[in-house]
Amino acid sequence: MSLYEYTYIARQDIQPQQVDAITAEFAKIIDDNGGKVAKTESWGLRTLAYRIKKYKKGHYVHLNLDAPHAAIAELERNARLHEDVIRYMTIRVEEFEEGDSVVLRSNSRDSRPPRDNNRFGNDDRPKFGKKPEGDKS
Amino acid sequence: MSTDRPSSGGAGGGQQRRPFFRRRKTCPFSGSHAQTIDYKDVRMLSRYVSERGKIVPSRITAVSAKKQRELSKAIKRARNLALISYVNP
Repeated sequence: MSLYEYTYIARQDIQPQQVDAITAEFAKIIDDNGGKVAKTESWGLRTLAYRIKKYKKGHYVHLNLDAPHAAIAELERNARLHEDVIRYMTIRVEEFEEGDSVVLRSNSRDSRPPRDNNRFGNDDRPKFGKKPEGDKS
Repeated sequence: MSTDRPSSGGAGGGQQRRPFFRRRKTCPFSGSHAQTIDYKDVRMLSRYVSERGKIVPSRITAVSAKKQRELSKAIKRARNLALISYVNP
């Protein structure tokens, strides 16, 4: 069957046990419709890049599914109806990546490089910056 | 007193410092052991997003056209999952 990466975000003010309950519920839907959950990953409570339905944070859960279309359609229908799930996304993939996804791997490395964020930040703003020192020779 | 050294890669010298050095021509995604484009890899994606949150054109980041298409699709997916913001104030 075809492979899917399914990610959903649950709203922030529910308990982690409830998030696991939702994941179990979704897994049951997939199993009932002839698919199987290859891997389940919880990225925990993360800050959203922008507010979704007035929530600033969300519980992220990432699933690797090996399922027919019917199971995925049923899963998405339930996610749409579920009021705790504020966003979900299903991506068809060719093959699963083995091991943890980047999200879990990246916060296992604690040393974060300093954000050098003026690389090309100034190309879409009019140049007000000071003249580079080299000109005062 | 800035001596006029030959500007290697535009590092020194008096002329306007180009935001990007001319010598970086290789596409970081093609080639044998290049990194894969993944919509979950926020750190890698944010290198190709400007400070305002816009996707940087491939003429600046020297990414090949095919990989730039994949990259922009991954960035849009990451934006949808609120891993990356659409605009930064």
